[in-house]
Amino acid sequence: MRSERLAPYVLVAPALLIIVALRLWPLLLGVNFSFTGDGERNGAMVGLDNYLEMFQDATFQSALRNVGLLVLLLPVAVAIPGLLATFIYLRVPGHRFFRSVYFFPAVLSPVIVGAIFNLMLAFDGSLNTVLAVFGVGPVDWLGDPDVAMFAVVGVQIWATFGMALVVFLAGFATLDSALLDAARMDGASLPQTIWHVIIPGLTRTIQFVFVTTMIGMLTSMFGLLYVMTSGGPEGSTYLPEYYIWIQQGQMNRPALASAASTVLFLIMLVVGLLQISVLRRAGRED
Amino acid sequence: MKQRTLCSAILVAGLALAGCGSATRPASSPSDSGKVTKLVVWDWKSGDAAAASYIQKAKDDFAKKHPGVTVEFVAQPFDQYYTLLGAAIQAGTGPDVMLFNGGGQIRDRVDSLLPLDQYVAEDKQRLAGWDAFSKDGKIYGAPVTLQGHPIYYNKTLYEKAGLDPASPAKTWDELVDDCATIKQKTGANCFALGNKEGAGIQFFMSGLGSGILTAQEYDDWIAGKRVWDSPNVKQIFKLWKEAGDAKLNNDGANSTAMFNDAFTIFNSGKAAHIIGLMSDIGHWKDFSEFLGADKVGVMPSPVVTSGTTPNLPYDGGIGYAVAKWAKDPKTAADMVRSLTTTDALTSFYSDAGAIASDTTIDVSQGPVAVGTIVSQIKGGKPALHVALSSKTLDLMGRLSQQLLSGSATVDEVVEQLAASDRAS
Repeated sequence: MRSERLAPYVLVAPALLIIVALRLWPLLLGVNFSFTGDGERNGAMVGLDNYLEMFQDATFQSALRNVGLLVLLLPVAVAIPGLLATFIYLRVPGHRFFRSVYFFPAVLSPVIVGAIFNLMLAFDGSLNTVLAVFGVGPVDWLGDPDVAMFAVVGVQIWATFGMALVVFLAGFATLDSALLDAARMDGASLPQTIWHVIIPGLTRTIQFVFVTTMIGMLTSMFGLLYVMTSGGPEGSTYLPEYYIWIQQGQMNRPALASAASTVLFLIMLVVGLLQISVLRRAGRED
Repeated sequence: MKQRTLCSAILVAGLALAGCGSATRPASSPSDSGKVTKLVVWDWKSGDAAAASYIQKAKDDFAKKHPGVTVEFVAQPFDQYYTLLGAAIQAGTGPDVMLFNGGGQIRDRVDSLLPLDQYVAEDKQRLAGWDAFSKDGKIYGAPVTLQGHPIYYNKTLYEKAGLDPASPAKTWDELVDDCATIKQKTGANCFALGNKEGAGIQFFMSGLGSGILTAQEYDDWIAGKRVWDSPNVKQIFKLWKEAGDAKLNNDGANSTAMFNDAFTIFNSGKAAHIIGLMSDIGHWKDFSEFLGADKVGVMPSPVVTSGTTPNLPYDGGIGYAVAKWAKDPKTAADMVRSLTTTDALTSFYSDAGAIASDTTIDVSQGPVAVGTIVSQIKGGKPALHVALSSKTLDLMGRLSQQLLSGSATVDEVVEQLAASDRAS
């Protein structure tokens, strides 16, 4: 009888132990490491020195500004797959074809995507050639500090929205079609249908896509940044993840990199929790 | 049920232990005695087909001296190399022998390396480039190649423009005039420049530095006495900006990668000059394949400041070092010595085109460009940018992009670089 009571704990234990041993414990070690020094001060406790140095570093400031930019661009990154999924759900002509085409970039490696867009966005690349036909440009897409981040984020959205699209389509599967029929009967226009029926019906899906897209942007843009801009020009396309890699790999500053990792973790935690609470409130009002 | 509980516990413990295990082998402390039977070498070269015969010859030489020791070469991807090495060093694990780039990359990590002075004494005369692998008077690595920044030019474009390819410009003004002629006659730019990673300024600084700084200023710079706001140091950055403003470079230099976009621009005849490398990419052999071996010229830096004597900027390129934790330092050092034998390095030169550190290798059968470079080695000096810390180089890359885009002035740039240099 006693062993019966113990069984649930034992069944949960493997997952719990793995999480503690392989996730939480390294996380704590990393945070602890961020309070130690690099180089000559290797291993010595230095308090908040790494954090102070980091926040004074122009490239880290640039990385933080870019995080803010990503948060602002997030609705666009969610709206695009959302709208396209809606069109596919509403069976626009050729929807089967578009479904596979839209998903296709999601199976490509960021390195391949980056290399393709490097060719297209190069100063003498195909996009500027096309623009020249219309008498526009040329634009230094990846060499102009005011443009480069938008170019990379645009490519990131193109490369990853297929996955969000699939999530949206799965969400649509749970949508009550009777509501859509009723809206149609009442003569609702497409925007009205989207605003009053689809968005309220998909609140949970939208929440999920918001959070995963944000996490994806903050942690999965490394490959694209590495291939497309290397953080440049002028440090304008730094993100915390790229900063961490540069400090650890190129500058031999592992403790500083740990401090940056800790800040990135906190940013993700705060942004994630804020999004969930804001969206939950929005869902409740509906 | 009890048994099931026990099984689960064992399973979890097993998984946890497997998860905690490391891919690298545990560190062996120097106190471990006993005969060493295995050496692990990390590099990013041994997987390269062009280096195969070089590695094989080094292995054969070592096997003759230490028949009982097996050597395992682990080729790591170069773009991840220092990240992986840093993690291994931090964890107290890692290889016995490892490859380094000369300069900051090895100097930043000498705490984990063994001084090699006593082991490589015999090789000191034969090999060049030791400075890049030394810190505070101690040698931490043996140079395999020399890395420098010759100015290559395309003789075909010179001929098309009606210029004499045998006598390239001697001064900066002459070079600008020649470039104007080339642009007019062939449409090619003066310089192929890739500054996407911020590396272009490093090549520019070192490639042209000996024609800008006086001999005294040059030596002081290398010795760490750098006067950033002196007129000649400022001149380096002024010239960089002027070259950009005067459109001597290809368009979009800030979004052109040095490797391999800028080299491609030079190879395709779209630019007449490039400040390239000696080993083992972006060098004479690469260019010869596209332009023809006899069409690749090497010119000394044009004189910018009158009275200066241009010379070849070079340092030790790549070299092998021994980890502090190597079980048997002498055996590990012997591996390093096998990797720098004349026989092995001759293969590296002929197969990969690298200018090897061994000054006794015969290059007389090679193309003219090689002969020109090798003849300048004796009078060469260390490259200016190699003397700077990784942090200052990183900053210089970003500031150089600002100079090209016009968002910073030369004065602002040297001020920031001086501050960074003082702090490092």
